[in-house]
Amino acid sequence: MHGGRRAALAAAVVVLAGCAAPDSDATQAEGQSWDQVLAEADGQTVSLWMYGGDEAGNAYVDDVLTPAAADLGVTLRRVPVAETTEALDRVLDERQAGVADGEVDLVWVNGANFGTGKQAGAWLCGWADDLPNARYLAPDDPLLAEDFGTPVDACESPWHKAQFTLVYDSAAVPDPPTDLAGVLDWARANPGRFTYPAPPDFTGSVFVRQVLTNVAADDVPLDYSADAFDEVTPPLWDVLRELRPSLWREGRDQPTSQQELDRLYADGEVAMTMTYGPATLTDLVADGTFPPTTRVLTLDDGTFGNASFLALPASSGSQAGAQVVADLALSPAQQVAKADPPTWGQFTVLDLDLLPAADREAFDRLPASPVVPPFEELSANARPELSAAWVPPLDDGWRREVLGS
Amino acid sequence: MTALRRLTGVGLAAWFLLPLVPLVLWAAADVWRAPAALPQQWGSSGWSAAAAAGGWAAAGRSLGLAAVVAVLGTLLGAAAAAALDGGRLRAPRTITALLLAPVALPPLAVALGLDVLLLRLGVPAPVGVVAVLTVAALPYTTYALRVALAGMDRGYAEEARLLGATPAVVWRRVRLPLLAPAVATAALLAFLVGWSDYVVTLTVGGGQLVTLPLLLGSAASGVGDEPTVAALALSAVLPPLAAALLVARLARGRTG
Repeated sequence: MHGGRRAALAAAVVVLAGCAAPDSDATQAEGQSWDQVLAEADGQTVSLWMYGGDEAGNAYVDDVLTPAAADLGVTLRRVPVAETTEALDRVLDERQAGVADGEVDLVWVNGANFGTGKQAGAWLCGWADDLPNARYLAPDDPLLAEDFGTPVDACESPWHKAQFTLVYDSAAVPDPPTDLAGVLDWARANPGRFTYPAPPDFTGSVFVRQVLTNVAADDVPLDYSADAFDEVTPPLWDVLRELRPSLWREGRDQPTSQQELDRLYADGEVAMTMTYGPATLTDLVADGTFPPTTRVLTLDDGTFGNASFLALPASSGSQAGAQVVADLALSPAQQVAKADPPTWGQFTVLDLDLLPAADREAFDRLPASPVVPPFEELSANARPELSAAWVPPLDDGWRREVLGS
Repeated sequence: MTALRRLTGVGLAAWFLLPLVPLVLWAAADVWRAPAALPQQWGSSGWSAAAAAGGWAAAGRSLGLAAVVAVLGTLLGAAAAAALDGGRLRAPRTITALLLAPVALPPLAVALGLDVLLLRLGVPAPVGVVAVLTVAALPYTTYALRVALAGMDRGYAEEARLLGATPAVVWRRVRLPLLAPAVATAALLAFLVGWSDYVVTLTVGGGQLVTLPLLLGSAASGVGDEPTVAALALSAVLPPLAAALLVARLARGRTG
């Protein structure tokens, strides 16, 4: 939280100061051959800073990715953080101090954290497209070209995809709605059985954007402008204001995080929850946190999708090693291992049509989840995320127009 | 009077121990779904997951860091307290205010501000962490020892001098035993500063020292791992609690 404020401040300073020192031009990779990179990486230690609140993710990195990196001569160290902004803070400090052998070699990142770092020139750029396994990425994939509106520019390498997903208990909702308008109707017809996390919580914020794209008369432009905001948001506030008395506890106590909403759902207080990481649902059901009747609500009008990435700070002292790990993480073998629900269940960024037959079959052999439909179905009609610049005005607007009403 | 005192004691104990009850239950639970009052399935899955997450190594790092901060913080605090007690300092109030300043400054601001400076100076990350945390511990150690020095009955030392003890012997045999409870308290407080820190260890430490609070903080930011988080939280709470009880007993033994 504090980290977020600081990262936001850093972003503001960078914006205000324009070209103030340290210069915010992106550092470009040196364009070595892959053999040179491999040779240089041998013996390096790579510190991967990542959100540590996902036990399956931690176990995948420790038990699957790290041994595979060791086979390539790279020692992978995982640094668990409560929030990705804490990693960004350290990167910005190292950049400000002009450090060339920093302690952060890779960061699991996307969205505003990537954008802030890019604005500050904190990432190494121009390397991700040259990774050997990048040939399995679809060149026209909109989720990989822009990260919440910030052009990726090969400053980060894709790791997995996520799909905003509504989740319901089929025992409590026998006749589930099929589009977002239907969900809002259901919430109004069943007072107290639905709620969403209050923005600026990440998931609550996505829900508000999802409703926005649903109620706006025209398509919401991906790029933010004050004019577009004033034009498209009034119906959004009307709908959310009107929804509020039907929420859990009449909307007086809205959960402040997805975790709180998940607990309400796990305790049976509400009949629906929502997540940007549906891959974890299979496990949450298997270990009994969520009821066995938990199902994913696929919406005909589609939901937001995004990708998360591995970014390489320009201040890293193990850039070759970091590139080798990012390439390894992108390899079909690692992507399929990671997609297996008991391992982690993260959706692949690879285009299965570009894979060699044997690798494609490995993906086909993945067990079907009783809770989560296959990614193709889940991501049908997926929309790329709005630019990150939309998020703060929408969060503020929600507080003013919906909470303050 | 004694009834009131006992009531206060019970109330205080409840105040401190009640929050630990769900923690203890979660740490011994494999499955615990609401609205059940008690876990449906007992077990040690939280502890094995905490160990698999590197709990032991993290506890070792926490212990090492806290011990170093305790030793340095107590020694420097003792030196500061002795200098202030001697009454020969020119601006004792300014110096006291400076020594106590870390309590008033938010550790986050200090950590982030100093991080860039320490990086520019090329100070190795673990050294930076120890230095910043030792300074953060100084207010507590200085205050505890300063109060003890001021309240010490000088009669004993004078008596010993009159009986022919050298200054060194007076220190070793009279003053130090009188000060021992305060030294133990100061060391405990400094230990706690090192043991419980999150932001300095992470930011200034550059992720090199993954201590228990780092492991706990990152684990607690997720959902569904309550037994693991509870096991980590108990591991973080119990050692300082044991140390505090030990110090309390030591202090009572000396004065009683």
